[in-house]
Amino acid sequence: MKLLKKEFALCMHPTGYIMLAAPLLVLVPGYPYAVSCFYMGLAIYFICLTARENHDASYTLTLPVSREEAVTARILMCCCLEIAQLVLIGVMILVKNAIGPMPNPAGIDAGAALIGDCLITFAIFNLVYFPLYYRDINKPGKAFLLASIAVFAWIILSIVGTYTIPFFRDVLDRPDPACMGDKLLFDLGALALYLGGTALAARKSVRKFEETDLHL
Amino acid sequence: MGTEMNAPLYVEGLCKNYPSFQLKDVSFALEKGKITGFIGRNGAGKTTTINSVLSLVKPDAGKVLFSGLSDAEHSREIREKIGFVSAGMTYYTRKKLRAITGITKTFYPGWDDSAYRKHMEAFGLDEEKTPAELSNGMKIKYALALALSHGADLLILDEPTSGLDPISREELVEVFLKLRDMGKTVFFSTHITSDLEKCADRILFLQKGELKADEDLNAFREGYRILECAGEVPVGVKAAARGICRVRDGYTVLLPAAQAGTENTREATLEEIMVHLEKEGEDA
Repeated sequence: MKLLKKEFALCMHPTGYIMLAAPLLVLVPGYPYAVSCFYMGLAIYFICLTARENHDASYTLTLPVSREEAVTARILMCCCLEIAQLVLIGVMILVKNAIGPMPNPAGIDAGAALIGDCLITFAIFNLVYFPLYYRDINKPGKAFLLASIAVFAWIILSIVGTYTIPFFRDVLDRPDPACMGDKLLFDLGALALYLGGTALAARKSVRKFEETDLHL
Repeated sequence: MGTEMNAPLYVEGLCKNYPSFQLKDVSFALEKGKITGFIGRNGAGKTTTINSVLSLVKPDAGKVLFSGLSDAEHSREIREKIGFVSAGMTYYTRKKLRAITGITKTFYPGWDDSAYRKHMEAFGLDEEKTPAELSNGMKIKYALALALSHGADLLILDEPTSGLDPISREELVEVFLKLRDMGKTVFFSTHITSDLEKCADRILFLQKGELKADEDLNAFREGYRILECAGEVPVGVKAAARGICRVRDGYTVLLPAAQAGTENTREATLEEIMVHLEKEGEDA
């Protein structure tokens, strides 16, 4: 908890808060909404980049904490931002549907399934970004580039899927409340993927970070 | 066994291999309440040794104990009792010192707020400033204030006086001497040997990854003499030389005191010893 407080007080980059405005993109007609999750990934990259410039690792590792705790705190802070982003996307979905729902030609509509779509986007980002980042914390850009490629591959797949994959086209990409049970099941599966994927990413990151020599 | 358990820092057989550099079998033990200078040219392995001691890099072999405790099992207790200060390191340059302190103190059960206020006042530090607004000397003093306020008994300082002007260096040397008077153990790496002449009790000399000397400062200095030669260095002197340096009017030769005698030779400074030993084996 102390380390989480330290992450927010000393390591947070302003973009972490600014990108919480990205869910407003859900109100834009014909926009691939999962891209708003990518913007939070960008903020996480800025946080790690700023941490490097501020010699955060050398400060943290001379505190009475373990490397495992340091990694867990950073990932936990990023999860807090991601979950806040998801909550705001949920709010924007409600707002958009209150204004008047409209189909989205660029990916899954602003409905219940969009939450699952975003959870999978974050799960992919976390799984790729954190283990690569903790392999060498001085190279956050390389990890971000590869994570971005993976995230956009998923976003493109989910957009194309709304035209070509029956489950996406006929179930997920339909205006609420149609197929709500299936959509909620999809969201639950995506939540399990997010939690499991992030836990796996944290475990792999800790292992990588514990093996790494820090040239500070 | 006694030294191993009692020394504030005990290092045995420390090795670290990089493609272009090896730290070879470094062993030493610090004495409690003393200032130990850790000297060697840039790239000799001082920072690698310190990073290995602090587990920032993983040594390939060796044992490191802090007052008998190993870092692998007692990392938390050890870090509560040590302070690490590095000149090249400035944390969170745009955050106010108040914010950095506010977070740092939460990690130390033994944090002493009144000691912190006392050190900040003694060092002339303003909590409303950011590290970016401090001079290099003041940054070191801030890092020391933090370390002293959490009750660190062992201070590990990596090149703390590098890049400082002579006055700031002098001020820091005075601080180190005060710390010694308080019973703190100071491990101080530097290549500015004149700072150590003023304050160190003991010297560790590292050369190309190997520890070449681990001695009392005075004994280390008394072990060598300098011979000044106006012209060429005589062949007989060359044979005994531990290093020869070119100077404006000829050469200076570092000789083992036992072979040099006191006639025509003078005391060697720490810097002269270090520079000459680095040139040992080279042709004059």
